[in-house]
Amino acid sequence: MSEAISAIPNVAWAALDEPTTELRVVVNGKEVCAVVPDRLLLSDFLRDCLGLTALKVSCGEGACGACTVVINGEPARSCTLLAVQSDESQIVTIEGINLASGLNPVQQLFKERHALQCGYCTPGLLMTVHCMISRGVQPDSDEVPQYMSGHLCRCTGYRNILAAVRSALGGETPGPGRENNG
Amino acid sequence: MADVASPSVRPGRSYRYAGKPIRRAEDADLLRGAGGFLADIPTPDAAEAFIVRSTHAHALIRGIRSEHALKNPGVIAVFTAADLDLADDALPCLDMLVGTLDVRHRVMAKDRVRYVGQPVALIVALNRYLAEDAAALVEIDYENLPAVTDHLQAIEGNAPLLYPEYGTNIVYETRQHDGNSAFVAREGDLVIRKRFEFHRQTAVPMENRGVIAKLVDKGERIHVESTTQIPHTLHTALTTAFGMDASQIRVTAPRLGGGFGCKEMVYPEEIIVPAVALKLKRPVRWSEDRREYFGSAVHGREETVDAEAVVGPDGVFVGLRLTGWANIGAAFGLVPNSPITAMAAMVRGPYRIPNLDARMFSVVTNKVPLNVLRGAGAPQAALLMERLMDEAAHALRMDRAEIRRRNLLRPEELPLDRGETDFAGAGRIIYDEGDYPRCLSAALKLANYEDFESERASASQKGRLCGMGIAMYVEITAVGPYENARVRLQPDGTIILFSSIMPMGQGSETVQRQLVAEELGIPMEQVAVRQGDTDEVPDAIGTFASRGAAVGGAVARLAARELIKEILNRAAAHLGIARDELSWENGGITCSRLEPFIPMAEIPTRLAARNGKANDGGIEARFRLDVAHPSYAYAAHIAVVEIDPETGRIEIPRYIVAHDCGKVANPLLVEGQIVGGVVQGIGQVLREKVVYDVNGLLQTRALMDYVLPGAADLPPDFRITHMETPTRFNPFGMRGAGEGGCTGAQAAVSNAVTDALRGYDFSVEGSGPFTPTWVLEKLDKPLRIPAR
Repeated sequence: MSEAISAIPNVAWAALDEPTTELRVVVNGKEVCAVVPDRLLLSDFLRDCLGLTALKVSCGEGACGACTVVINGEPARSCTLLAVQSDESQIVTIEGINLASGLNPVQQLFKERHALQCGYCTPGLLMTVHCMISRGVQPDSDEVPQYMSGHLCRCTGYRNILAAVRSALGGETPGPGRENNG
Repeated sequence: MADVASPSVRPGRSYRYAGKPIRRAEDADLLRGAGGFLADIPTPDAAEAFIVRSTHAHALIRGIRSEHALKNPGVIAVFTAADLDLADDALPCLDMLVGTLDVRHRVMAKDRVRYVGQPVALIVALNRYLAEDAAALVEIDYENLPAVTDHLQAIEGNAPLLYPEYGTNIVYETRQHDGNSAFVAREGDLVIRKRFEFHRQTAVPMENRGVIAKLVDKGERIHVESTTQIPHTLHTALTTAFGMDASQIRVTAPRLGGGFGCKEMVYPEEIIVPAVALKLKRPVRWSEDRREYFGSAVHGREETVDAEAVVGPDGVFVGLRLTGWANIGAAFGLVPNSPITAMAAMVRGPYRIPNLDARMFSVVTNKVPLNVLRGAGAPQAALLMERLMDEAAHALRMDRAEIRRRNLLRPEELPLDRGETDFAGAGRIIYDEGDYPRCLSAALKLANYEDFESERASASQKGRLCGMGIAMYVEITAVGPYENARVRLQPDGTIILFSSIMPMGQGSETVQRQLVAEELGIPMEQVAVRQGDTDEVPDAIGTFASRGAAVGGAVARLAARELIKEILNRAAAHLGIARDELSWENGGITCSRLEPFIPMAEIPTRLAARNGKANDGGIEARFRLDVAHPSYAYAAHIAVVEIDPETGRIEIPRYIVAHDCGKVANPLLVEGQIVGGVVQGIGQVLREKVVYDVNGLLQTRALMDYVLPGAADLPPDFRITHMETPTRFNPFGMRGAGEGGCTGAQAAVSNAVTDALRGYDFSVEGSGPFTPTWVLEKLDKPLRIPAR
């Protein structure tokens, strides 16, 4: 399935003398072909052009991890990449791993463990967890805090995040019908 | 009666939610990345604003030329102060007193800039990239003036003046005294004199700020969406600034990606962007980036305080005298003086100390304005007080727990009136009920305090310096002056709560739904909450000072109680039954005779049908809760630190909190606030520092420079124990819990670091930060970078 997308967020880029490049990427399993300004950031391309607003921009320099997406199987900071650098790659955002409705098991574990407060860092963090699970990182491994060191959370103090991540890595399933669901 | 309710809707189940660890329903959206933050709101037809900011700490503006910028591709307009012509007092300050020098922040600099980052001009363009291009072409002719960044230099006679018309940089003064303020030391008393330095910090919510402004209702109203904790205060400011009728302005705030006080502010951008939208008659949005955040969103904490404590030979504190100077930056924020008024009011914390004299001053300097940051003045107060406790214990060779026991207020001494305060929202300081000694005992027990010396010895054998620090605090929470809420029974039988409490991570959506469902005795699923819309709750206060659950939750529950009364009144009239024969039980109307149980879901249709009319859109009630006195939460924190003398790195292997925030609405969320607050406090004393150079240029402008705590900074062994003493000052006994973690952590870690370094004959006098470099300097060792 191919979808041509005009990568011009607000009206104006096209009419201007702005260097552009044709970009072909697969985003969440969907082929996207677009002509983008060379200096357009990948985070802006995904959020503004494709409407994939789950990833968040916070530090704008790759320090906080809120903008993390998965590019060719690797967690990557979309705020410090140009869109054109992702040409020919496979990109997954949280919209690509969300269930049609409700929460996937990892998301449910985050909810059960109160592993998010404001939730601004959460979508990016979940993309790293997604990679950790696919790589088979063990729950008690030293790699867990190493992976998590790429993500800043200002609210939770990390305790419940680490607990939720470890239980997700351990294959724990969310408690079915666990009471106290608000 | 003709109406016979089916057995399935007979009263039977009572839904109870208050005090239970309910998981948050709002997580569903947030975890799917559909949190609906301001940046996620689609604005396809909005122009993008970019603020041109001062690059000078202190300068006169001789001229601004924007022709080149205006000609740049994609630029729609350029505005300066002259184009906007907004009043100098458009930005409010809520804690000025008689005699305070008015240094309210100018919406946009006219003829003088006073800090790097101050708004000077605004570009409107088709997108952010083009706006930034043009910003570089705005030519501002600055005439440099000498800058002053240090508040102690700023109070010297020869210091550059930020507001020459006043002849001084001291713009505000507060004095708090109790008992005999002229107390003196008697023979044999210990006198401790220390100067405490508190460094500049900033909140850094993960979400930066932003504003969207657009004309609505055929251009007759303006809708302003902003990342604010206080939409109603912004609404008032906009009404004043534009001379518009209140009904012509709607302010809404979406979910916030964290606040921590830095969004408890009315910012220049929140006036400028709507002003430009009004002028251009088109939607305009502004999105702050992180670099802008550091140079324009308010900072916190910075002050110097000289303390003098007189302590009897038995360790009992006789009196405390403070003289302090806060570095409030270049202009007033919303509550810029609250850090010092709160510190002066609360410095004695849980201790008796009969005599107090605290004089504190706000000093203007060429830095970003200072405002409240999680805990306001409480973290500084606790750090100073707890350091003095430890210094007294050290000098008198007393046990650190014992000296605290001798000074702690006992339960039978409470409530206690500690006098009037200038702290906005408190009025008088009247401690409510509590058991401070039991709180300390609980923490000591959980910390294995008695066995600590053996723990220290074994760490020492491994070459590590180990220390333990105790800290207690009492802090003002759940402040007034009032709050409003509205509850509506919808025609479909569900409930909507309209609230002014902003969701910014604390879980206020869930807490408020819990309390409304509890009051009505209905399943939580039937309660929705809408927050932060000035059209829906026209008069309200907002979210700060640990008031979201305690005040916002209480008023929501009381509004639900009003709704029950309203429903029963209407039911009595419609059914032709005496009002006192009806009552509300288990989520519906019961009647002592005649009418069987009517569940809430059926009430709108039943009452409407009786009246022979179509549904009138539901039944509504509102409530205003006046908060005459805030409540006072307290805690004991204990930190264990280990210092590697080779690298200077400080680790916190164990952390203990015993706390009392009154009746707990949701323990899951309270624990989340405590752990998050403690780690934030740890970051603030171990890592974070806003740095300016001597010329007033901001050095920490990104998260690479201003390092936040990460997952590795979480104390691996974290123990919490809860006390739950209801307060008399809240209708449901709740105190606040949002800030205390941060408040206790700064003090506990400072004491633990001092304890670990005791062998070096050194004590901490301030908030650090205690970076590896700082530690190695104290250990008098050169910095060594270990080979990898």
